[in-house]
Amino acid sequence: MISSSTSALLIVGHGSTVNPDSSAPTLQHGAEIRRRGIFSEVACCFWKEEPSLRDALLYFADETIRDVYVVPNFISEGYFTRTVVPRELELTGPETHRKSGQAWKYCKPAGSHERMSELLLQRAREVAPGIPEAETTLLVVGHGTSLNDNSAAAAKHQAGIIRGLNRYAAVLNVYMEEPPLVADWLKLTRTRNVVVVPFFVSDGLHSDEDIPALLGIRSQERNGQDGNPHQIQGRSLFYSTAIGTDPKFAEVIIEQAASFETQGQEVESAS
Amino acid sequence: MSETALRAALAKSGAAGIGQISIATREDGSFALTHHEDAARDDLALYANADDAAQLSRFDDAGNYRPLKTAPSLRHGWRLTVPDHRSLDFALDLFYPGRLAAFLAWDRGRLVTTPLRETLQRQTGMYRPAAKISDPEADGLVGSFCRSDGGCLRTILWKRDRDGSPASTLLPPEKFDPAHDQTGLGRPTVPLLCQEACNLLVAEARKIVKCGASADSDTSSEAGEPRDGTHQ
Ligand code: SF4
Repeated sequence: MISSSTSALLIVGHGSTVNPDSSAPTLQHGAEIRRRGIFSEVACCFWKEEPSLRDALLYFADETIRDVYVVPNFISEGYFTRTVVPRELELTGPETHRKSGQAWKYCKPAGSHERMSELLLQRAREVAPGIPEAETTLLVVGHGTSLNDNSAAAAKHQAGIIRGLNRYAAVLNVYMEEPPLVADWLKLTRTRNVVVVPFFVSDGLHSDEDIPALLGIRSQERNGQDGNPHQIQGRSLFYSTAIGTDPKFAEVIIEQAASFETQGQEVESAS
Repeated sequence: MSETALRAALAKSGAAGIGQISIATREDGSFALTHHEDAARDDLALYANADDAAQLSRFDDAGNYRPLKTAPSLRHGWRLTVPDHRSLDFALDLFYPGRLAAFLAWDRGRLVTTPLRETLQRQTGMYRPAAKISDPEADGLVGSFCRSDGGCLRTILWKRDRDGSPASTLLPPEKFDPAHDQTGLGRPTVPLLCQEACNLLVAEARKIVKCGASADSDTSSEAGEPRDGTHQ
């Protein structure tokens, strides 16, 4: 149980030095969670933006805060959650005790929460309202091999769960840089309707430009979800913004903190 | 962050703002924030939510993204009114993330600074090569990248290495003096402290090692990190 008077939340995002949209969802989720008053303090920090993870060590100076829940706002476990975050935040294991007696509790990344498949499903329905699921293919798009963060496995896992529900005609995990390739969607799918949800924590070049280009959406029509459905070679294509921009992601972050006691995050040595 | 601490910090220094931001206290106890050059203007776009500071600090006047919030490029043309100290803290933490926390830790004698060499040697993945930067190269890099005039308004508290060599011999002594107003206006100030080199400086150090000192664009710093992260 999280005690609202003695607990704080730190959400760790990647951020970007070139993409202004990268940190926006993390900040929005932080603001939403702050509004709910579940934690006495809520802060965000970023690898590539300010406040940095090092700066976050200076937060939560209030002595009434006994527990700091650290939730990485990442799609999956990997290099950042196992190496960068523990190193920069000086975490020695799932629970790190500071000199002040404060305990920093390292939680699983938001994207690995079991409710993620539910969120993907809801998002798919929202971008294609009234479209019969049994006549639709759902594509969950991950990055693929070049990112050493298990995001491909995470997308595959989610697609598997949703496929098991037997609601959509087909559910496929596809990738930008490894097969099955998102660029091959016309060959990979048979239904007239295709819904595409990028399994990313924020919008940016990948979800705004790269994936639409790979799908064949014309550049002047790459306008978030506004241009839906796109008519491409006789198909109706419904494109979503990144799943991490969904306001319900805030709930997942809260739940990852709440479930710390049962499944804290492992860390690896930084060397 | 406690209300009293910030109030005390502002009162103690006699400062009417932080960095490029002016803070006016109103009769009803609310605060009005503007770019300090806009304080007297009455044609400003009005904002009333502390969270708006995220958007106001994201781009400069020309619409360019500001990855370094303490760069002297705060955009003009807005006035943000917040009702109380708590929301003032939120807003300032979005304009200058982590700087009030750093100031309060410093004020209490608890701010730990990290020498540049330690920050660089801690890096893994694509940033690991940054540690190979030579002392003269680091001196030049910090001297240009961190300079208050066009670079960054923070006061540097870290040294180059454990033996206490200065962060850069090319920066004036006041760059290291928390009492000095880095905007150059000579006002009383609450300093924006730099307790440890930022990720942007680390990325620049890497560029110098990888490409030579003249490299000024390197897109791989965004996409490349995990690729090199094979040691995980
Ligand atoms: S290292 Fe510090 S002073 Fe230099 S640019 Fe980064 S934040 Fe500014």
